[in-house]
Amino acid sequence: MSKPTQTRAENVARMLPELNYWRIALALVITFFFAFFIAPIWTGLVTSFKTGAAVTATTPFVPPGPGGFTLEKWGRAIDHLSTGFINSLIMTVPSTVVTVFLGSTAAYGLTLVDWGKRAQFAVLVLFLVGIFIPYQAVLVPLSDFWINIFPLVEVLAPVWELEFMEPAHARLLSLTITHVVYGIPLCMLLFRGYYLTLSDELVEAAKIDGASITTIYRRIILPLSKPMIGVVFIYQFTAIWNEFLFSLTLIGSSSSPAATVTLVLSGLGTDLSGIDFGLRMAGALFAALPTLIIYALFAEQFAKGLAADN
Amino acid sequence: MAELSLTGTTKVFKDGGDEIVAVDNIDLDIEDGEFVVLVGPSGCGKSTTLRMIAGLDKPTSGTISIGGEAIQDRSPQERDIAMVFQSYALYPHMTVRGNMAFGLEESTDMTDAEIDETVTDAAETLGIANLLDRKPGALSGGQQQRVALGRAIVRNPEVFLLDEPLSNLDAKLRAQMRTELQQLQDDLGVTTIYVTHDQTEAMTMGDRIAILDGGRLQQLGTPMECYHEPANVFVAGFLGEPAMNFFDATVDGATLVSEEFTYALPDEIAAKTTDGAEVVLGIRPESIDITDDPDSSEGIPATIDVVEPHGDENAVHLRLGDQSEPTLTAMIDGMRYLASGQSVRVHFPTDSVHLFDAESGEAIHNRQLTNVDRVQEIGTAQSAD
Repeated sequence: MSKPTQTRAENVARMLPELNYWRIALALVITFFFAFFIAPIWTGLVTSFKTGAAVTATTPFVPPGPGGFTLEKWGRAIDHLSTGFINSLIMTVPSTVVTVFLGSTAAYGLTLVDWGKRAQFAVLVLFLVGIFIPYQAVLVPLSDFWINIFPLVEVLAPVWELEFMEPAHARLLSLTITHVVYGIPLCMLLFRGYYLTLSDELVEAAKIDGASITTIYRRIILPLSKPMIGVVFIYQFTAIWNEFLFSLTLIGSSSSPAATVTLVLSGLGTDLSGIDFGLRMAGALFAALPTLIIYALFAEQFAKGLAADN
Repeated sequence: MAELSLTGTTKVFKDGGDEIVAVDNIDLDIEDGEFVVLVGPSGCGKSTTLRMIAGLDKPTSGTISIGGEAIQDRSPQERDIAMVFQSYALYPHMTVRGNMAFGLEESTDMTDAEIDETVTDAAETLGIANLLDRKPGALSGGQQQRVALGRAIVRNPEVFLLDEPLSNLDAKLRAQMRTELQQLQDDLGVTTIYVTHDQTEAMTMGDRIAILDGGRLQQLGTPMECYHEPANVFVAGFLGEPAMNFFDATVDGATLVSEEFTYALPDEIAAKTTDGAEVVLGIRPESIDITDDPDSSEGIPATIDVVEPHGDENAVHLRLGDQSEPTLTAMIDGMRYLASGQSVRVHFPTDSVHLFDAESGEAIHNRQLTNVDRVQEIGTAQSAD
């Protein structure tokens, strides 16, 4: 009385690869989002290699044919943007490093150092208020401060005698300091969340081992902050590199020797004869390079940091 | 190495408008090289006391001195102490060597070569020399525990503080480390304060134990003193497993009257009580005699509720008279057979009963030890360790 234990349909099913509807759905969603995010970048990339004629003659996302290919747009873009690019680097790298350092020391002082809970809370509230001050609200007082109250151009007068230094560079320095000040609160908050998860006993053990407050920061807390430093560094670098409003307010003109890459980019490829799409795309991709490199460099720490924070 | 003393040490925490007294006026004198265990239930103030000695919490009032020098106003960095934390608190980004060397680098002027030698020596003592280049994350719980100990002993401090160091280990390893720790402390001869909530650790490890409850010191004495001559109901109930049995009773002449039974007091105990006083009668489970002879009319009638075999002995839970819940626990020999539901009679030998004042909890009378000399001998042998 033995029956076949499997029907024909079951046998067929067993031969098919194991497909799970959830996995198929997931793959479809991922494909969709991949296409969604990659399409504009791809379109920009192919456009940047097209001649003016090819831009109008071909569909935007189709690569240029042999006759429509050119490197001229990239050449011109790099040529136009290089000074702004260097200015941006000179401003972004120090302000990011300083912000990350000050943000983490501030968070350390507000979480792991014991000097009165009430006072710590009061200072924390000040920081939180700092996060919510809108850029637009400070533009006028900010430029007034750097021009009338604390004019760096005059304070640093002897410096402009040096080679390659121009008074306009004082504005770049003001911009750097402004970004540091504006960045500290949020960086502090990110580090604070991370430091709250560290065990108090770690700091207490170090105290008993004879370490001072600064030594504990330098030898215990800072090395343990690596994942969070990755997160904050990427975030802060990208924010400062891409920032436009402060640059426009403090530097003013894209023709200034201190103009940042975002300022120069805003006018690139537009003139009376129309918009040069190829040039604009090449410029945009060139200007975005540092942020892409930073992501690639810190990707591992970024992922670890996000995991640690949650 | 030095003696440590706490005088009138008090710690009050402010929580909003409330004041919580965590440690209430504790006096404690610990001799040079002594191993003292602070023991008590959660929230008794034992950890706070330890943290005040370490300098992690500042006493609200009172003094703490090491080697005769008042240190309560010094920061932890300026006190010559080492501490082992319950979580071990190893620096996760440093190797075992780095962890052990850190304290020496920060608190001494030793050269790198000297530090390295000291660390290697300590690691060999603890049997972790082969782990020196690993990070804490790659170690087992027992190994991490040894590293935490190693980090403390390399410092060669005046006082060693241990905060429940064994509580994260499994039972077998804990028993092994208990012996090893005692041995180590004996070899090093460093004054040691050990905090635990485990009365077995307290009984087996300490030269003396300090029992705390509600922030107050209940009793300070050798384990044997505290066990056999508890100062009050709390100490009597806290030490010993299973715990001492307690019955509320009233003194009526030379007789104790409780809800379940009456108990005739011998003259010498009766002399310590006043007629009509409310007292608590205490008897340890191992002192109780159980008779299963149905013809016997001595003792209190009882019914056996549950028998728990422990191997060498059995714990018997009994209902007295016609009670519905068991109120008495007795320990009997492991080879003796008693069945659940069996009717028996229990007898409290007069030389093993304890009597406490019901209101204050203070001991009125403690058991009379038949071989006092032997107990004292064990007590002194432990103190000399």
